[in-house]
Amino acid sequence: MSSEKQIFWFEELEEKHNDIVGKKCANLGQMVHLGMPVPPGFAISIELYRRFLDLSGAAKEMRSYADELGDLKGVGIGTFDEVSRRLQDIIEEKDMPAEVRDPILRYYEELCERLDMQDASVSVRSAGTESRPGMFETYLNVIGATDLLEKIKKVWASAYTPRAVAFRVNKGFPLIGDELGVAVPKMVNSRSSGVSFTVDPVTGDDTRIILEANWGLGEGVVSGSGSVDGFVVEKETLAIVNRHIGQKTRCVVNREKGAEWVDVPEKMQHIPCLADEEVLEIVKTGITVEKRLGCPQDMEWAVDGDLPFPKNIFWLQTRPAKVQVKKPVSTTDQIIDLLAKRYQ
Amino acid sequence: MGENIGGRTALWDALPGYDLIEEVDLPEMHSWFLDATHSVPPWTPLFGWYWIRFCCHGMKVVCDELSIPTCKGWEMRYRDGGSYNAFHIVRDKKEIAERAVKFRQALRPWIENFDGLWESGKRELLGMYDKLKAIDLENASHVELYRHNYDLMNTYRRMFEIHFLGMYSSYSAWLLLEDLCKERFGMKDQDPEFQDMLRGFNNKVYEMDKSLWDFSQLALDMGLKGIFVQNKPDDLRAKLEMSEKGREWFRKFMHYLETDEVGGWRMRRMNDLTEPYWLEDPCTPLGVIRNHVLKETEDVFGNVHAELSKNREAAVARFLERVPPPERPFFEGLINLAGKASSYSEEHDLYCELISHALLRRGYLGMGRRLAKSGTIDQPDDIFMLNPDEIDRVLMVPDRHDLRFITRRRRAEWLEWHTRPNPPVITDRSGMEEAVAMDLLPSMDAVAMKIVVGELPEHKPELGADMFGICGCAGEVEGPARVVVNYEDLKEVQPGEILVCPGTNPAWTPVYGMVAAVVADRGGTLSHAAIIGREYGVPTIVNTFEGTAKIKTGQRLRIHAAEGAIFILDK
Repeated sequence: MSSEKQIFWFEELEEKHNDIVGKKCANLGQMVHLGMPVPPGFAISIELYRRFLDLSGAAKEMRSYADELGDLKGVGIGTFDEVSRRLQDIIEEKDMPAEVRDPILRYYEELCERLDMQDASVSVRSAGTESRPGMFETYLNVIGATDLLEKIKKVWASAYTPRAVAFRVNKGFPLIGDELGVAVPKMVNSRSSGVSFTVDPVTGDDTRIILEANWGLGEGVVSGSGSVDGFVVEKETLAIVNRHIGQKTRCVVNREKGAEWVDVPEKMQHIPCLADEEVLEIVKTGITVEKRLGCPQDMEWAVDGDLPFPKNIFWLQTRPAKVQVKKPVSTTDQIIDLLAKRYQ
Repeated sequence: MGENIGGRTALWDALPGYDLIEEVDLPEMHSWFLDATHSVPPWTPLFGWYWIRFCCHGMKVVCDELSIPTCKGWEMRYRDGGSYNAFHIVRDKKEIAERAVKFRQALRPWIENFDGLWESGKRELLGMYDKLKAIDLENASHVELYRHNYDLMNTYRRMFEIHFLGMYSSYSAWLLLEDLCKERFGMKDQDPEFQDMLRGFNNKVYEMDKSLWDFSQLALDMGLKGIFVQNKPDDLRAKLEMSEKGREWFRKFMHYLETDEVGGWRMRRMNDLTEPYWLEDPCTPLGVIRNHVLKETEDVFGNVHAELSKNREAAVARFLERVPPPERPFFEGLINLAGKASSYSEEHDLYCELISHALLRRGYLGMGRRLAKSGTIDQPDDIFMLNPDEIDRVLMVPDRHDLRFITRRRRAEWLEWHTRPNPPVITDRSGMEEAVAMDLLPSMDAVAMKIVVGELPEHKPELGADMFGICGCAGEVEGPARVVVNYEDLKEVQPGEILVCPGTNPAWTPVYGMVAAVVADRGGTLSHAAIIGREYGVPTIVNTFEGTAKIKTGQRLRIHAAEGAIFILDK
């Protein structure tokens, strides 16, 4: 990969590009190669982020501020807030140098062309090299060049949220750290979104896939708020063995710009937000991906309201599930286990 | 080492290889614990030879086959008629872990099919017993008698190899359940809440007790009450033979003793050969039946059992409610297996010890009659003063041997042992507590801790009691004490009395219908006295150590079994 190229289409990426574009972007590329439908979009490399910091002078300012601060270990939350605010301000108040801005705008233009749209609505998602769920920012429903550039800067700045700063300080990592890539995929017009685990995250039972879904965007599910729909599907038979229709009182939807929480209309609260055929399509992909990647997966997807089945299902993320896979233990095995442990 | 006689050192006497020799055995094992549950009163040499050799072997077999992680087997020694036990404790963590791997595999069949495995063990033993029964002792040739000596040894060895497998699997489950209940719910295996979940089971012993009661009802139905009331057990048989109804009843009764799987092949006293088995002397079961007739006892087992069974189900249901739902199947399975401990404890006594001891007595008395006839010994039961090697030596040409120099000396010694109790432990540690802590507890041996040695009672000074033991079955009663040391004295027990004894065994269960409570010198929560107490609903305290020494017949006692407390009201 030539060092001239700072921005990549997802389909150009693979897992091995983790350090170049960040985990999430590499993951999107990996998903394309696995044959999973992914929203079209591009990835901004970490190198471009560094270029921005250097060329704008932000890097120099941040470094001298950091040197002034010295060792921050053991400070209180108030200090983290202050340090965070200062560092984020340094980044956000800089204008994007042409060398950085122009390639970004070129890709955005081409994306709009490919989609045959004027100002395509995209999301701007942080992509660090390590998996730090929820630590950095994501912006939804970003429209137009100006909005895009502003949100990209904000995502870059989110490397210095109070939480990220505290995390690094407490772990003894350098304050100036966590360089971020940025993923810019087209916004899916999410009729419904959700997550799926290819093992039961609670029991570790790997014979089943668990789905959770809500109307609207995945943020209405991933955040774990509100009552959502749940489906349990047996991998071997593809039978939906458990079906829980939650009381979906709230969900996250796109707005003119951005997205927000809204009330779900009464008549939609008690009906499933996914059709069985959609559930099974999601499950089948989950089984395939788990097999290909060789470990249980924690996956995010969205169902586009504008497209027909099966073209309406898009994948946003897949990563190894942090659950211990356990075979269901028989009563006899449990008794034997404890009887033996008595002696040890 | 040993006795110096005429320049030669005598190592062993009655039990070659198994007599206790302090100079060797103390440095090797440090502590030897008296099995007072079984070897009080003191054992005859022949019985001691059999039990100590083959029971010890059986323990080693189970520790090997099941690969018990912390114990490789027991050692047993004979001293003054007492059985002293020590434990081959595994202390090295790595070795414990290695043994645990095989333990898990070996245990599985017992958890999955306990009943099936025990059943096949029973079948094997009953087959061997049938072969032994086939010999015609009076008409057997010297060689046939000689071989019978070895057939008895072989059967008894195999009996003890089978004996412990079911015991360890079910008793381990009991201990595990107790650990978990203590840890999670503060419940101990002496608590009624715990014990109620594990009682109310049926087994062959209760079935036989019930059969005897049924015969008492049959006697009443057939109008035989008068004969039973007017005659002592010794005279009953003759008197019954004098009337047609009596003969009919007796025929039915003997048929039961002869044809039931166990029937009359059970010893009156479990742990020695000196008393008759039922087929030999039906006076014993006749006495039990007479007792039911005289005292108009209710169907103790039938009434109490149904209720205990129902209570058990309710207690288990209540317990499971305290358990988080995902763990309930596990606890249910464990409770089920632990429950087997109760039934197995009783049934194995019958199919293992009681029958084989009856066959030992029968076989050796047959040899004894032969040797008494030839003048080798004074009387047939002097054979119990010899060991099988000594018997082997003389059986082929008995008239050429005189062993009275051995039998007379040993009998005198044996009688002398009855006058002084054996110490509970022989140890080079600082005392009982240290001996238990270092040489017993680390074995994690269920049988040692719950039966043979038992847990040490907790003294609770705030209660102001005179004596403490551990709770075998909860309940509070008051009544006069009846101290019983030998089976003969058992017939003196009156309804409402509190039985004070060294321990109990299956021969004693008929008295449970009458007594208000039982206080035993030794035993644990899984020993016979405790299990029967729970099944018959009789308040029971075990392991007092000093009950029969300190309490006198007639003294009024108050028992608070749940606390293990005994109050002597008139001192």
